[in-house]
Amino acid sequence: MTMKLPRLSPKWAPYVFISPFLLLFVVFGIFPLCFSLYLAFQSWEPTGGLKAMEYVGLANFTFALKDAWFWKALKNTLWLAIASGVPQHLAALPLAAFIHTSFKRLRDGVIAVYFLPYITSTVAIAIMFNALFSQDYGMINAALAQLFGMEHIDWLHDVAHVKPAIAFIVFWRYVGFNTVLYLAAMQTIPGELYEAATLDGASRWRQFFHITLPGIKPMIFFGVTLSVIGGLQLFEEPFILTGGKGGLQQSAMTSAVYLFREAFDFNDFGGASAMSWLLFVVVALLTWLTNLAFRTRKGKQ
Amino acid sequence: MTAAVTTVPAIGSGGAAARASRWTAYLIVAVGALFMLAPFWFMFVFATHSHNEIFNLPPPLWFGDDLLTNFKLLTERLPFWRNLGWSVYVALMATVLTLLFCSMAGYAFALMEFRFKKPLFGLVMATMLLPQFMNMIPMFMIMDALGWIDQQRALYVPGAASAFGIFLMRQFATSAVPKELVEAARMDGCGEFAIYWRIVLPLLKPALGTLALITFIQSWNNFINPLIVMRSLSNYTLPLALRSLQSTMNTEWGALMCGSAIATIPLIVLFAITSRQLIAGLTAGAVK
Amino acid sequence: MTFSDDFMRGVRTFAPSRRAVLAAGLAAAVAPAVRAKEARTLTVAAFPLVDQIVKDAIPQWQQRHPDVAINVVMRQYDDHHTAMTTALSTAVYLPDVMALEASYVGKFSDGGGLSDLLQPRYDIGRYRDRYVAYAYDQAINHKGQVVAAPTDIGPGTMLYRKDLLDRAGLVESDLQPSWDAYVDAGIKIKKATGANLIGNVKTLKDLMIRGGLHKGQGIYFDADSNVLVNSPRFQRAFELALRVRRNQLEGRLETWSNEWAEAFRRGATATELGGSWMVGQLANWVAPKTAGLWRAAQLPETTWVSYGGTYYAIPRDSDPQKKALAWELIEMMTLDPSRQLAALKTQDAFPALLAAQDAPMLEEPQPFLGGQRARVLWREAARHITATAVHKQAKFAEDAVNAELDSVLDDGKDIRTALADAASLLELRARR
Repeated sequence: MTMKLPRLSPKWAPYVFISPFLLLFVVFGIFPLCFSLYLAFQSWEPTGGLKAMEYVGLANFTFALKDAWFWKALKNTLWLAIASGVPQHLAALPLAAFIHTSFKRLRDGVIAVYFLPYITSTVAIAIMFNALFSQDYGMINAALAQLFGMEHIDWLHDVAHVKPAIAFIVFWRYVGFNTVLYLAAMQTIPGELYEAATLDGASRWRQFFHITLPGIKPMIFFGVTLSVIGGLQLFEEPFILTGGKGGLQQSAMTSAVYLFREAFDFNDFGGASAMSWLLFVVVALLTWLTNLAFRTRKGKQ
Repeated sequence: MTAAVTTVPAIGSGGAAARASRWTAYLIVAVGALFMLAPFWFMFVFATHSHNEIFNLPPPLWFGDDLLTNFKLLTERLPFWRNLGWSVYVALMATVLTLLFCSMAGYAFALMEFRFKKPLFGLVMATMLLPQFMNMIPMFMIMDALGWIDQQRALYVPGAASAFGIFLMRQFATSAVPKELVEAARMDGCGEFAIYWRIVLPLLKPALGTLALITFIQSWNNFINPLIVMRSLSNYTLPLALRSLQSTMNTEWGALMCGSAIATIPLIVLFAITSRQLIAGLTAGAVK
Repeated sequence: MTFSDDFMRGVRTFAPSRRAVLAAGLAAAVAPAVRAKEARTLTVAAFPLVDQIVKDAIPQWQQRHPDVAINVVMRQYDDHHTAMTTALSTAVYLPDVMALEASYVGKFSDGGGLSDLLQPRYDIGRYRDRYVAYAYDQAINHKGQVVAAPTDIGPGTMLYRKDLLDRAGLVESDLQPSWDAYVDAGIKIKKATGANLIGNVKTLKDLMIRGGLHKGQGIYFDADSNVLVNSPRFQRAFELALRVRRNQLEGRLETWSNEWAEAFRRGATATELGGSWMVGQLANWVAPKTAGLWRAAQLPETTWVSYGGTYYAIPRDSDPQKKALAWELIEMMTLDPSRQLAALKTQDAFPALLAAQDAPMLEEPQPFLGGQRARVLWREAARHITATAVHKQAKFAEDAVNAELDSVLDDGKDIRTALADAASLLELRARR
């Protein structure tokens, strides 16, 4: 490395080093956010060009709050977040415990397999499940018919079934990820605790509930927070599985999908911006509540 | 830093009951693994069947012989090589830029002093909690203002200011780079850039590796950003190209599966080689 | 000031030294290549199958303008219109010629992003009588500007499986007196053959709500942005859709899905309602093996509607130097009967040009329709269609109404309530 760079004094060095990052951060992080706030107060017909903006005060916000679809999308989002989030963690905890206690040699391989859904492209996965969930020719219906004699369900076009289908896909995607997270956390619990408990005659179940779970509480908190935020911003799976439209009767239209449609299908950028800020308030609120929930429980302990 | 593997009372000890519970554990975990792998299996199997074979009762469970036909259809309907090329290009550029900018800034945050350091870092961390959808419209507007719509740089430049990347770099730099070493080099007359390049970066290697992997994977799989800023089929990255193929009226599912499989394979290979590193890096960050 | 002018001026200015002569020789060798680079390219943005129609026109264009190349940028239907929306709002990467589907013409017409073709430099007004009346009228915005030129239309038609009707002892005219008769026939068909009347009842609803509009009225909104979904027109459409569902005459298939196409292939769907271009789709990939079994007829209850159609527009902010050429291309595509008929022949795009409609090609028997001279029917239908205004919020309205229809059909919601709910949703947006 024979770079002849100008001599940088230690005084200015920090600013030089953070400036590329800072520049990008301001241009692509801060500024657009401020502009989005500005846009939330404007009415804008995009095909008229940038000059076509006009100030409308809180009209976009009141529109969003009165819009039945806004609330429907929010309900869908909450439903999906809970239906996909809760099972993820309920399944991940015992799975992690099983791997932790039973797998020594194959552990790395198992972890790699469990992590695989998480690192795969959502589009590829959604396309995959689109075929698997096909009403007449899908694997899932074929298996259900074979095993339980169930009739074929129209997973993707039936109002009652499209959300469970999506929840299932999201569950599949993240349960392995959470398992690995919990596994990592379990590895930090000192073995002596377990030894002492076994000597006291505590069963494996009691050990799990009284040593393992409390021991990984911070990680559970982390994982659940990720699920809450991730669930509330669910976009790709519902988008791909419903062809970008949100499904029959908008049953699979999450808030993020509705936001996208409002901006890019119905060309209402002002309204969509207002909606995104309202949703942000919801997400912030729920994240704070999650935080609260975990802190209280910690206190009780 | 490295999580010590705790010794848990071996379940093997004990009688038949303990052995049964051990085998239950094996079984459950194995079923879980199959559950994770099954869709991939079908993806690869379907990639070798024609559209009519896929949409058939019962669906195929083993490989067929239509892989080449599917691939031919795929390249007929999409500028597939271009899309693949763009995915590679964008992912590489994103990785290089992110590593560079985040390591520089992370080093500065960790080992240098400057005004507003704390509040600035707080601000950056706060944006990590921002939901993705806040960015949808602003991203479009800023790219439009810059004239970057339908250009690849719109995909890899913004992400270089990754809050997670800074977090990781700063964490690692704080623990892996001794301040005294830097001071000593400075007193020896080493230039600031030289310190960064020759001393700090090599020490940051493990974190750089993890960040590189995460960035590459995220960039490769990214769908929303290309959806918002890209407009021409020949400029699309793979996820967007596949979705475009899926939304045609007369979808050829064999070709689509083939494309999906090809989009997935590079990451699987990459992951297979680096999984330990990646998971260790991620969970180490999380456990903190 | 062409390259050759400059070149000659340079030669005259400087004394021809040996070096200069050598340079001149080299320049002369390079000149043709340089002049070729100055050749212009017209960018046309289109979606399938319009892109092919434009590409087929290139040889004819090259004869007229050998130095102007045409670059057709193709995107899928949805992506194309999204890209056009973006291009219009950012005024960047605007094509010189923009192909638009009829509903999007309505969406963009008032935004000011498309050039007014009535301006003297284009003067589309003088061609008004050459186009199918409603197609021309459809492109007129609220300011009276004509924002696009029609190239093909989609006259509404009813397609039916003659063999299935035969088995049920029915003829075409049994389905046509009224929409109720159509549904009654569906019951008989189901009984006799087990086939469904229609794949998706929404198509029935779509065609019913398009009928009986006054000039200038939109489907969902009127000229003053009042919401129209509470009208008897919608009420009747919903009632009939419910009747179809209750009698299990509907395949409940998503249009264009695998299962929907498969139903056609297996003879599980007896009729289809839509634009004339549907025949091409059926023949090309949906159910090619059912060729010869289908016939076309006018829609029940003498409903004259348009379902689809393509236009060409010139963006207001596109390259001004190419606008004249862009217009020339549009004139060629829309006013030259040979191009209109070529599109009809290869892509089943029904001409918007009246002169083309008089060509003998329209009397040709259609093999897919068992030799029927269906195009004559569609020509007749096109003459009766009146233009419908397309409101800015029409796309949203379509989704909202469909959602309410689903709740009526699937959840047993009361029709009046459903339409009232849709109305209140639309009222919130009507004047945004």
